[in-house]
Amino acid sequence: MTATTAVEPGTAAPSAAPPRRSRAALLTTGLAVALVLSALLAAGVGAYRIPTGDILASAGHRLGLGGHPLGRVPESVLWNVRLPRVVLALLVGASLGCAGALMQGMFGNPLAEPGVIGVSSGGAVGAVGCIVLGLDSLGSWTVTVFAFATGLLTVFAVYAMSRSGGRTEVVTLVLTGVAVNAFCGALIGVFLFTADSAAINQVTFWQLGSLSQATWGKVLGVLPFALVGLVVAPLHARKLDLLALGERPARHLGVDVERMRLVLITVVALLTAAAVAVSGIIGFVGLVVPHLLRMAAGPGHRFLLPGSALGGALVLVAGDLAARTLAQPAELPLGVLTALIGSPFFFWLLRRTRTKQGGWA
Amino acid sequence: MRPRTRQIPERPSLGEELLSAKAVRLTLGGRELLSGADVSVRSGEVLALLGPNGAGKSTLLSVLAGDLPPAAGTVLLRGRPLASYGTAELALHRALLPQSSALSFPFEVGEVVRMGRAPWAGTAAAAQDGPAVAEAMAATDCARFAGRPFTALSGGERARVALARVLAQRTPLLLLDEPTAALDLRHQELVLRVARERAAAGDAVVVVLHDLSLAAAYADRVVLLADGATVADGPVAGVLRGPLLSEVYGHPVEVLAHPRTGSPLVLPVRG
Amino acid sequence: MSRTIRHRAKRRPAGLLIAAALLLTTVGCGQAAGSPAAAGPPSTPDVVEPLSPPPVPQLPATTASADGRQVTVASAERIVPLNGSLAELVFSLGLGPRVVARDVSTTFQQAAALPVITQAHEVSAEGVLSLHPTVVLADRSTGPAEAVEQIRAAGVPLLVLDDAKQLADIGPRIDTVAAALGVPAAGAQLKARTDERLQQARGDLGPAAGRPKVAFLYLRGSASVFLLGGAASGAGSLIEAAGGEDAGTAAGLTGDFTPLTSEALVKAAPDAILVMSKGLESVGGVDGLLKLPGVAQTPAGLDRRIVSVADGKLLSYGPRTPEVLRSIAAQLYAGTGEGAR
Repeated sequence: MTATTAVEPGTAAPSAAPPRRSRAALLTTGLAVALVLSALLAAGVGAYRIPTGDILASAGHRLGLGGHPLGRVPESVLWNVRLPRVVLALLVGASLGCAGALMQGMFGNPLAEPGVIGVSSGGAVGAVGCIVLGLDSLGSWTVTVFAFATGLLTVFAVYAMSRSGGRTEVVTLVLTGVAVNAFCGALIGVFLFTADSAAINQVTFWQLGSLSQATWGKVLGVLPFALVGLVVAPLHARKLDLLALGERPARHLGVDVERMRLVLITVVALLTAAAVAVSGIIGFVGLVVPHLLRMAAGPGHRFLLPGSALGGALVLVAGDLAARTLAQPAELPLGVLTALIGSPFFFWLLRRTRTKQGGWA
Repeated sequence: MRPRTRQIPERPSLGEELLSAKAVRLTLGGRELLSGADVSVRSGEVLALLGPNGAGKSTLLSVLAGDLPPAAGTVLLRGRPLASYGTAELALHRALLPQSSALSFPFEVGEVVRMGRAPWAGTAAAAQDGPAVAEAMAATDCARFAGRPFTALSGGERARVALARVLAQRTPLLLLDEPTAALDLRHQELVLRVARERAAAGDAVVVVLHDLSLAAAYADRVVLLADGATVADGPVAGVLRGPLLSEVYGHPVEVLAHPRTGSPLVLPVRG
Repeated sequence: MSRTIRHRAKRRPAGLLIAAALLLTTVGCGQAAGSPAAAGPPSTPDVVEPLSPPPVPQLPATTASADGRQVTVASAERIVPLNGSLAELVFSLGLGPRVVARDVSTTFQQAAALPVITQAHEVSAEGVLSLHPTVVLADRSTGPAEAVEQIRAAGVPLLVLDDAKQLADIGPRIDTVAAALGVPAAGAQLKARTDERLQQARGDLGPAAGRPKVAFLYLRGSASVFLLGGAASGAGSLIEAAGGEDAGTAAGLTGDFTPLTSEALVKAAPDAILVMSKGLESVGGVDGLLKLPGVAQTPAGLDRRIVSVADGKLLSYGPRTPEVLRSIAAQLYAGTGEGAR
């Protein structure tokens, strides 16, 4: 720290902005506050109108702080329909954001996202197969469980296939991912070919991504994976920083790169597969949230990993609120919405960064 | 294995043989890159690794660093087989400066140099992180752009930051792969002066160089490689001789004494 | 290529099978028609009741196609109906033995052995032509348009009908198909039979004590969104005939299916939910359906008032629609003591 701040006056970097560390702390706090506010807003707004006073009364009653329960239907809508959805958006968003930051750090490439290693398309094969074949052996959990299992399976297949002599090369890994993604796309095509129109409809909507089927059960299903990922990821923050130097220098600094990669790929797979299983494919968050934060407060992973989790959660809670309220009573597909609003915003930022700093890096 | 990584290695005594490689052979992709290379380095000395392109200098450095396991031969680090060291433990013993330094994300210079302290996290030596970083940056003339992103630096500046990171690691063994390649005259001298200072402080330094006169000026000892094997090993005056160099480099070379200092100047015969 | 060969080889035994199946089902249906439909998921066999004896087509006949052309059919020896509704109609007329192919939405037993030529409404011209049809029947929504054009360009008469969207469409559809295939008398007979059964089914409803609001949900798999049927879904007419009110239309949905938020479904407050049986299966039956967020909170969910109808039957609007209506009414009013009986 002493060295970083021991900048000789006059020759210092031209930017007058506060040092990265305090900016990161500020941003983290800001994100956390924004997340809490948007979650409260999301809990208060919906197609089924429940007055704010009633919500407070019901919450107070449940927390034992006075208040009173609502009628059977509004009480159930609030606690069994709306809240699980807000919480699920939070978990899925945090998972996707964190997984995206991990992937970019692990691959040393700002273009990497969990989809690269096949987790999304693998999950899609399971979900689409389930929908089309009408499998229901696990009741309402069938699609979720299948999507999760095939997502994980695909990632490990990609990893195993790109490993040789105890090492994995990033380029081989990416190319294997490309091939496996294409294969998964073809499998989905085969399923669609044999599907009837009801199934095709559902598959389409599943692929657009949505949290409309959120239940406490699904929240509990995702929670362990999200927790494991969100706890394990920051433990590797420092090592991920070192990986930015390249694999060989990172090894020279004591990082067991291969082992870390296996651990982190597992974490990414768990986070993303769980998210995809309950929400379908929601792109954009994992790719762009880490970017924005890196632009704002630097590439250090000790900030970036938790920051991306917070940022992803914020984007998804806000996005899902929009998805279920903008076109009432219809539901907008969440994945489409995030990309539709997020992409132009990202493009604008990209342009601005280029004109201001003369380059992306 | 874990507890051992947290143990701080003892400082070597002056003149202790830190690293020795004997009869090292290595074949990669069907090509024999090393075919009997011998090298050893003691604390307190600067060893220059010389040889024409493709002689196996960088490959040998990789073997010494523990990146590539040799197909035959022995490599001992402080008397113990190199292969018996774990990744984290090894990082406390040796640092390597690669030929070129890239960075995937725009970390600031100060952050990059601080990465050199990563192996010491969790040990008592972590208390010296601040001074180690400051000293390394001062030694390499990088302190004035500490707050700039690494990716915005010129090639020469990047090379110096990379060296600062390696110095900050404060290991008793330094392996430098062509540290002067991207640098101007002033900074070339600066880097080798730093290497000398580290040797004087008791470290062992192995440096791959192309400039034979630089090697002659700064090295205590020279190992000359040709076709993957050691062809000469000894003090500067013994190895840097016209006939041997002419043969190894396949070009006539003459060695003159500097008119004022008397140190050897190695020049290709021209015209 | 291999498909064609396989179909050719199969054709003869398939014809025999159908004849046998027809015999069996005529007997079976006679019994089923008299007994009232059981409440709960339909357990009646998925069969069509053909006219007996089978009529003999008087051809050629020229009919106005819904796309504005005049279509002349010279032979009804090899008929290809391109969807389940039309197949049901042709089989009901007693012309089942002349049908040489079916599409995926044709699910009744008599047609089960026929080769399948379309997937999810996508017609392949070559697949159809490979069966050498003498007449092809299609709806306006049958596509793609290129395939329809290609079949016509090959000289095969192709009759297009307006899509069946409501009970009132049944009569005209029977008339048009019967006329085109040269069996107008059989058409009149089938129309009369269907009308009579429809009246009977309506009559059995009795005076309704209030109009239950029925939401038509299009489901497949649980990890997706609700699609709620609106005014153009085609289920509204049936729901109204059964004495209910279409929840989608009441909520102002004009399209066929709209992805709906769970809360909007609660807000729509349907008294009953109408689903297709395969869709219900795919979410794990009634129990699975009630676990979907938003369903349990509706009056329908609270009362477990779920109506399910076989996929192939529900929206076909044809000779079997009275049976569908009866089944809907039975399930809708089961246990409420009102309506049926």
